[in-house]
Amino acid sequence: MSGITAQEREAVERIVRGAFGALTGRGGEPLRYAMMDDTPVGVLGLAAGRRGLRHLSFVRGEDDFLERLLAEHGEVAVLKSSELDDVRRALDRYFAGKRLDFDLAVDLGDLAPFHQRVLDATAKVPAGRVATYTQIAARAGSPKASRAAGNALHNNPVAIVVPCHRVLRTDGSLGGYGGGLPVKEWLLRHEGALL
Amino acid sequence: MSPDHPSVPAPAAHRIALLLAKHGEELARHIRRIVRDDDTAQDLLQETMLRAWKAVARLTEGSNERAWLYRIATNASLNHQRARSRERAALARHAAELAANTDHPDGATGEERDRAGLWAEVARLPERQRLALSLRVADELDYEEIAARIGGTAEAARANVYQATRRLKMKVRGA
Repeated sequence: MSGITAQEREAVERIVRGAFGALTGRGGEPLRYAMMDDTPVGVLGLAAGRRGLRHLSFVRGEDDFLERLLAEHGEVAVLKSSELDDVRRALDRYFAGKRLDFDLAVDLGDLAPFHQRVLDATAKVPAGRVATYTQIAARAGSPKASRAAGNALHNNPVAIVVPCHRVLRTDGSLGGYGGGLPVKEWLLRHEGALL
Repeated sequence: MSPDHPSVPAPAAHRIALLLAKHGEELARHIRRIVRDDDTAQDLLQETMLRAWKAVARLTEGSNERAWLYRIATNASLNHQRARSRERAALARHAAELAANTDHPDGATGEERDRAGLWAEVARLPERQRLALSLRVADELDYEEIAARIGGTAEAARANVYQATRRLKMKVRGA
């Protein structure tokens, strides 16, 4: 085929092999993704592997989310899928206020141990309650590492489901949020933690 | 996120990676419905994405990329099916000729039975032999041309066709 170098052709073959392998179960673990385009907090991108949810991100749109996934995971097995319906339904219930806590498998296996401990501690903060960065650092086993805990929370790959928005500064101010502070505020009000 | 991640595609492959991520699963399902064979479907999905790549510059903003990819996949799959049925028809004719022209040990005619048995035997031929035979009898290529398509030398292509024919004749003789 003219206009396509051998290298490019090889790249397409690799992409197709990986994707098809994922589809037929002959390849590695696929990363499946889905979009939620109109939630009260904007566009969300979801991605899950076999062991659970790996990404819940605030994004500008599908291409933006895909660019991030491809940059982080390579193009081999990233596929749009209808298999994330359970996650979408859980989020719909959350946004409708019918059920504010999540019972979803989350896969944080790629993260560093401290990062995982911080997110595990955060996942235990129930809806309607908040914790401070210092408390989370202590619960993750490193009481002095509140700044590191803040960084870990800022890099939470599974927003909302791992409720990093429930973690505030010790003085009660909101701190930061990857999805923007108005979103953090909306989520906390929605859960009844802010009046 | 590491910018030099080994599996990040070359820029030219990037658009294809996006298209494949968005539509790969449903396209693969669509192609498998037509060809019903995973290996073939994988080849055809690959061909679809390469064709898409060649034409992606003509895909303007806002056009329906999903419908466009489906059309490419459908054409590739149906072309494949047509070529395949031409090949099957030619191989079946070849098998029928072999059956008619080969002496039977018991003098029975049984042409129908032979044809079915031969067809099964064609399917059992080693891939390279089946391919060489098919290119010879279905596409009527000479051995140089066959070698150019399946690799190896013209002599090897001739040997593959010979071996395939010999196996089919042995089948007719009941060996």
